[in-house]
Amino acid sequence: MLARDLVRPYPLVSADSDAFTAAKLVAERDLQAVLVTEDDLPVAVLSAARLLELIVPAYILDDPRLAAVVDEPHADRLCDALAGRRVGDCLPEKRKMPPVVAPDDTALEVATLMVHERSPFVVVADGERTLGVISSSHLLDRLLEIT
Amino acid sequence: MSGWHSWAALAVFVAVYALIISERIPRTAAALGGAGLMLAIAATDDAAAFYDESTGIDWNVIFLLLGMMVIVGVLRQTGLFEYLAIWAVKRARGRPFRVMVMLVVLTAVASALLDNVTTVLLIAPVTLLVCDRLGLPAAPFLIAEVFASNVGGTATLVGDPPNIIIASRGGLSFNDFLVHLLPISAVLTVVLIGLCRVLFRRVFTFDAERATEVMTLDEREAIRDRRLLVQGLVVLALVVAGFVLHPVLHYAPSVVALLGAGLLVAISKVETPEVLREVEWPTLAFFAGLFIMVGALIETGVIGEASRALADAMGGSDLGAAMILLFGSAVLSGIVDNIPYVATMAPITADLVQNSGGNHVLWWALALGADLGGNATAIGASANVVVLGIAERNRQPISFWEFTKYGLIVTAVTVALSAVYLWLRYFAFA
Repeated sequence: MLARDLVRPYPLVSADSDAFTAAKLVAERDLQAVLVTEDDLPVAVLSAARLLELIVPAYILDDPRLAAVVDEPHADRLCDALAGRRVGDCLPEKRKMPPVVAPDDTALEVATLMVHERSPFVVVADGERTLGVISSSHLLDRLLEIT
Repeated sequence: MSGWHSWAALAVFVAVYALIISERIPRTAAALGGAGLMLAIAATDDAAAFYDESTGIDWNVIFLLLGMMVIVGVLRQTGLFEYLAIWAVKRARGRPFRVMVMLVVLTAVASALLDNVTTVLLIAPVTLLVCDRLGLPAAPFLIAEVFASNVGGTATLVGDPPNIIIASRGGLSFNDFLVHLLPISAVLTVVLIGLCRVLFRRVFTFDAERATEVMTLDEREAIRDRRLLVQGLVVLALVVAGFVLHPVLHYAPSVVALLGAGLLVAISKVETPEVLREVEWPTLAFFAGLFIMVGALIETGVIGEASRALADAMGGSDLGAAMILLFGSAVLSGIVDNIPYVATMAPITADLVQNSGGNHVLWWALALGADLGGNATAIGASANVVVLGIAERNRQPISFWEFTKYGLIVTAVTVALSAVYLWLRYFAFA
């Protein structure tokens, strides 16, 4: 099984798009991350974990005991922190480029790259043309079918 | 000063100081590297560096810091400070100036018992939460807390690392600090509150609706382990009692702190490795390196020469010496980290005290100058740097000059009042 057999279309979000909308996309489709593009080229990964990191105030991350003192209604309004932000503003300072595989790479090569890069998905690209994405869950699913 | 050893030791010392100020390499690496060079050029030796109380590592200072770091490390886990801060803010009913007063007083009191960096690390997140709720800029509150930590830390032997060095080198007890520095520290805290009222007057806008949001914070939720809290408070009380009862018990502060730390680890469920992770090992190594370097300057006669030159310059006037130490230390501590400054000045001050017939006012002048001078600039003390980092992470940046314009005013007023205090207490009515 080669990367071209595993590739699927994957939601892409532009770096200039609204962060709130991107977060809704992650939530509604139960994604681990979305691929961020600039000029239609994938440039970074915005993970669900990073979005959570952004909505929890930094002072709470500095002192996690404070999370308990905040009442439920305020705790439920955490996503307000994303309002007015662009997706590009939400990326970590050190942007991580998504790992890229070629269409003729094997499933083992794809899995090895995911583990090595600690990435929930890889981009399948044929030269400069992006064909889609392989997610870790989809890769496992396809491998289990054969086993 | 004679011999190449003296000049070589002085050159190494100046180079290391420059490295510490420039922050081009970690200060601990600079101090340990300097200590290594002092040993390599035979400006000092292993016997002096490791076993001589006056020219080597001051183990009383190192172990007092270690013991207090362990105790504070456990206390931090109890949520006590978060509880107290939120409780205090709720008593202020969300009125901005009252909130600032409560936080300043809490910070000053906590800083007298804990080190300043730990105090601001605990108070700053609560402040950001409260300001978030009140819709107020956090910067003025954070800056006021930094000032309070440096003023409050002046009050006791364990309040600020320079005081620990001064106590050890000057043979001063915990009670000496309470008698001589606590009164002026309390006065300066009140003055600081008045200054904050004026300096930050534009931010004290009360919003009744926002204020009710502060009242929804539940401080009791901050305390997760009541048993640990009780154990921590009992041990802290015992340690303070041990410090105060030194004339009866004759235990050095380092021994009291180590016994307290050992007792707390023994009776609580906190794992020893977990506690040891809370210890700032680089800071302890930094102190060790500094002591060896300063010891080398003593061994090679550089400190003796500096003491004689300073004594000549002061012309045998204790008042003049105290004022030069106070104002000189305040200016230099605003530029240089006050720990290496006091480590260097302590043996010189010891010589001056000896020459003046044991007049301890010089120690108090050094402590007040070094501790209060830390408020002058954004890099004057470790607590300042830590709070600026926290503010930056929370997207409420405080620029160097924003801090320094307030810091210079607060330092000028507090140091001037300290000068009046020293004059009145030790000269005019002595």
